This record gives sequence, structure tokens and C-alpha cells, in this order.
Amino acid sequence: MGKIWLIARHEYLVSVRRPGFIIMTVLVPLLGALGLLIAALFGGQASTFLERQFAPEPEHIGVVDQLGCCTPILPAHQERFRSFSDEKAGRAALEADEVTALLVIPEDYVESGQVMVFSKRGGFSAAVMGDSASVRAFFVDHLLRDEVDPVLRRRLAEPIEPVFVSLEAEGEPRRGPLNTAVNIMVPYFLSVLLIMTIFTSSGYLLRGVAEEKTSRVIEILLSSVTAWELLAGKVLGLGALGLTQVTIWLASTNALSGGAMNLLGVAVPVLARPEVFVLSVVYYALGFLIYAVLMGAVGALGTSMQESQQLAGIFSAMAAIPLMLGGFMFSNPNMTLVRVLSWFPLTAPTMMILRLPMAKVPLVDIVGSIVVLILAIPTVLWAGSKVFRAGLLMYGKRPSVADILRVLRQA
Amino acid sequence: MVVIQVQDMTKTFNGLRAVDGLSLEVEQGEIFGLLGPNGAGKTTTIRIIMDIFKPDEGTVRVLGQPPGMAREHIGYLPEERGLYRNLKVMECLAYLAALKGVNRSQTAQRAGRLLASVGLEGQAQNKVQALSKGMQQKLQFVATILHDPQVIILDEPFQGLDPISTEQIKGLITGLREEGKAIVLSTHMMNQVERLCDRILLMNEGKRVLYGPLEEIKRRHAPHTVQLRTPATLEALPGVACVQRHGDTFTLTLEGITPQELLRTLVERNIPVQAFEVATVPLEEIFISVVKERHYG
Repeated sequence: MGKIWLIARHEYLVSVRRPGFIIMTVLVPLLGALGLLIAALFGGQASTFLERQFAPEPEHIGVVDQLGCCTPILPAHQERFRSFSDEKAGRAALEADEVTALLVIPEDYVESGQVMVFSKRGGFSAAVMGDSASVRAFFVDHLLRDEVDPVLRRRLAEPIEPVFVSLEAEGEPRRGPLNTAVNIMVPYFLSVLLIMTIFTSSGYLLRGVAEEKTSRVIEILLSSVTAWELLAGKVLGLGALGLTQVTIWLASTNALSGGAMNLLGVAVPVLARPEVFVLSVVYYALGFLIYAVLMGAVGALGTSMQESQQLAGIFSAMAAIPLMLGGFMFSNPNMTLVRVLSWFPLTAPTMMILRLPMAKVPLVDIVGSIVVLILAIPTVLWAGSKVFRAGLLMYGKRPSVADILRVLRQA
Repeated sequence: MVVIQVQDMTKTFNGLRAVDGLSLEVEQGEIFGLLGPNGAGKTTTIRIIMDIFKPDEGTVRVLGQPPGMAREHIGYLPEERGLYRNLKVMECLAYLAALKGVNRSQTAQRAGRLLASVGLEGQAQNKVQALSKGMQQKLQFVATILHDPQVIILDEPFQGLDPISTEQIKGLITGLREEGKAIVLSTHMMNQVERLCDRILLMNEGKRVLYGPLEEIKRRHAPHTVQLRTPATLEALPGVACVQRHGDTFTLTLEGITPQELLRTLVERNIPVQAFEVATVPLEEIFISVVKERHYG
């Protein structure tokens, strides 16, 4: 154990001084602080500006009502919506920039729900028209104007207005689209950072092993320690390095959240759900263990740094699948594909770290994925350390798949 | 005292016998030469002794223990070697010594003395990559013996060294023998083996070909040649097939008689003898002839 500790300490101290690690660790809090600084410079306008960016609303919308359900336009909507007799007139107004979007309500709208949305250059605001609060309110108000009370109509148009309350933050809880965006984006961003940390730390392991192999230090080390002690020491040291980075990021994000509250009126929910934080750290540790051992083995197999990195790409690509599914996750964090990937050992850590802050994940997925990982880790450790040992002393020749299988059979 | 004992050791890689039934003993206070052509199985033998590889068959004991149990008492300089180029010299030595169980203060004391003995004084705070290749070679030797091991295994220790550095390392090696350390020296440089080793083992195709005290092996391979120094002019002598003269020294090739019988003849004929020595063949010649004999019959 003493030698494992020595190796872990050495790996930690060497890597913590690497310029890449220092830059990456400092960059995240610096970017956060820079964002706040810009917000401070713009004063109260920052919040409005950002709200518009996250939830853009077209200023003037033209309406061609072929069904007749929205004619005449109610006084409450006349400021934003303008009626046109036919599509040609509406298009001409759009061309002349009198309106920023044109809605054409067909005769079968009630059955089909389809509305044609015209915009001059496409763009985000037209694409999100269906989610626009004012457009929703326009349709609900006009369709139900005679049957439903105005207060109830407003509630139908906007069923919930989430109010996020951060117990750590002082002041009144705020609401609005920016708050919603921050509550989704910040945990997601932190999750991505956590995943990046897994890869940067295990990447250091890959690089360290490849360097020790190419610089021929490895045999000197193996005269003092076993291959298993060497791998275990490296995994522990670089795991601690990753945790250091995560701790610094979380602490600085938490510190910056006070500034965000004051400047933007937004509570940053870093530690709003402690169970998510704890589980994220658990998945981080399990994920790092699996990937670090795999990276160690791959580092030992390659005959050069470039070759090792190419081999490692196979595992990195696999672990990056959950990141690629980010778009689907926003719409449904508990969809079947996401759940399946949460149970597969090589994607489970990254998938769960991304899923946890976005929704209430079923307990069975949490327990199941942790159990699968705990069962998979000894297998990965066993196979990884055998391949690591076999690969360390192979110079000039990369072992073939048959060689690797033979090593595992003979182990 | 026997410090390394190998008995009937065999190791096979992909059906190829790298070491085939090898037995050897290395004793305390000797320099033991492990010789052989490329691919003879020397490095595999060393790696098994170091517990980097496991033998398929046979037993290995180092200081009376299985390999791997005595790591802290062995200093190993592998043929494939390197150092942490981005670390300072002292940091690098401290880490490697710590893995052998030596603390920082002990390392600092011994490192200063050893660095000075190989001409690296004043380099402790420099980065390894700032040293020349030869300096790094010497630094590796220092790292090998820094923890004061009882057994030292050196695989091609003179590779890449200039003559002055070679002499420095040789001086250190003989000094370690005087201290009672056991040294296993694997090298292709036969002249160094002849000057340093007490006993040798020549391997070929994984098998032991020659084994024993160096002088005895050399005599065994040159029983028919005698070197004689005399001021007299030599006439035809019975049993002497060929005479070569170099000043007052004659090299006599014997045929059908022993060196003792020749000496008796010289005394009977009152030929003054200033020096009489059974000649030895250079180790390199023995090495080549034995290996060729094995290869080509």
C-alpha cells in the first residue's frame, strides 16, 4: 500500500503542475467571473438582454385567419398581432418588415393544429414560435374567449410558472425564462465539465504510461513495484487530481452564484439538490475507475503516444455517446435509449451524470447502474491490469487482438 | 554465500523457448558475467530474476526468497532504460529511491556522494533533459545503486558511454564488489567482461553453454598454447608444432604434449626461463567459436 501511495502522490504532484491542468482549472471560474463582469457593466439591462436571447419573442406578428377563429383580434393582443385579409397581403407586410412573422391559420386548424409560419430569413424566433408564450396565449384567448374565464385562459396558455428557490441565496426568488435556462444549463454545464474531468484525468494516465513506456522508465519502475501497484497508484493519484479540479470548479461556481443573484436576479442551483451532487461524485469515481484502467491498459499497448491516443479513441467515443444525445435528453431525460445507456457500464457514468440534474431519475436506474458498474469494475480491473502488464514491455510492436486475448487466457 | 539461485528455469513465448532449463548461482562479493548473442535469453533471465516475468518451470531464489520479495535489495539497470526527463535530477532520484524504501534525507546524503563519483556534482537541481546522453547514462547508474542494494543487475551498463565514463563506472563496479555486493553484468563488450568478471555464464538459444570461473574457462579453451619468455634462441623442441617470436617472448603451439612436459624439457635442456604461462584465448574468440559450434555443428 505504501508504494501505491508513493506512486499516487508522485502522479498527483507531477500532473498538478502541468500547464494544461492549471489553464483548464483556472479557465472555468475565470470565464464565469468574466460573464458576471460583463453583466455588471451592462447593469440591469443584462437580465433583459439575456432573457431575450434565451426566449426571443417576435415583436409584431401578422395573422391570416382562413378559419375565422381569431377574427377580430382581441384588444389585449392588438399591440403585437395584426390581421391581414389574405396570405398575399400578409407576405407583402412581411417583405416590407411591417411584421417579423406571419401566421396563416388554415380552415382545418382545429382538427389538424397546423399553422403556417412565415418568416423573412427563417431563424430561431420562427422555429420556436410554437413555444412562444404570447402566441400560445393568442390562440387560447381567441379559441376559448366565450367559454372560459380570462384568468383560467391565462393559466391554460401558461400552465406553470416555475419559481426556483435557492436556500443558499439571499433575497427574493426570481422567475422568468432566464431563471429556467440557468436552472437547466448550469447543472448540465457542470455535468459536462465533470465528464470532461474524467477524460482529462484518465487522459493524463494514458499520456503518463505512454511517456514512461517510450522513455523506457517503465522497466526501472517494474524493478521496484508490481504492474498492479503501478496501475493502482496512477489511478488513485490522477483520480485525486480530477477531484481537485471538480472541487475548485464547484467552489468557484458556488461563489460566483452570489454575484449572479445580485446582478442577474438568478439563483444558480449548484448545490440545490444535494443528492444529485453526491450521486454525481459517486458516478465520477466509478466512471473514472473504469476509464482510467482502460486508458492505462491502452497506454501500455501503444508503441508511441500517437498510437496510444488512437487506441483510446475507441473508448472515448463510446463514453461520448451520452453527450451526443444531449438534445434528446433535454426533451425527455427518461427516454428508453437514455435508460438503456444508463445501464451499460461504458456509458453509464457519463449518461447518469448528465441525466441526474435534468429530471427525477427512477430509483431503479440509479441502483441498477451503480450495481452494474460495481460488478463491471473488477472485470475491467482484472483484464486491464493483465493487458497493462503485458503491454508495458512490448517495444516496437503493438500487440494484436489475438495477443491480447492470449494474455487474458493465460492470466 | 549464494545470493541468486536459479534451478532448471524455463520460459516460453509463443511456442519459442527463450530460456531452456537454465541453472546458475551468483555469490556474494563477485562480478558474474551473463553473456550470449542477441536473443540468447539473457534479458528474459534477468526479467524473471526481477519478477517482471514469471518462469514457466523451475525455481528462482534471490537472497533466499522468491523473486519479487527482495525487490528493495536489488538494484537493476535494464538495457531498455530511461528517466523522467521533465523532473530535476534530485527529484527523479528521490522518487526512484523512495520506491525502493529509502527516505529523502538518506537519498540526499548518498546521492550527493554518488553524483560526485561519476562527475555529476552540481547537477542535482538541473532538469534531467538538460543533461547529455552520457550524463543521463551515469545518472541511471547512480539511481540503480542509490538504495545500497545487496544485489546489482546491470544490463549493458557501458552502452553509449565514452571511455572516461566507462572507467568511472568500472571503478564503481569494482568498488561495489569490494563492499561485498553481488553484481550480475550482462554485456556484449567482452573486453570489459575479461577485465571485470570473476565468473561467467554463456547462454545460447536459452541454454547454458559455458559456466564457471573466467580464468578456468579461458584455459580450458586454450590448452595447447604456451607463452615463454627467454633470452635463449629456441631450437626445435619435441612436441612443439609452431613457434612465433615477439621480441624475447615466444608463443608455442603444442602437439601431443602437455605444458608440464614442455616445461620439463626446457629445464632438462638448461634453457633459461624468465616467464612461462599457459596462454589464454581472448573471451571474444571463445564466445564466437562456441556460438558458431552450436549453430553450425
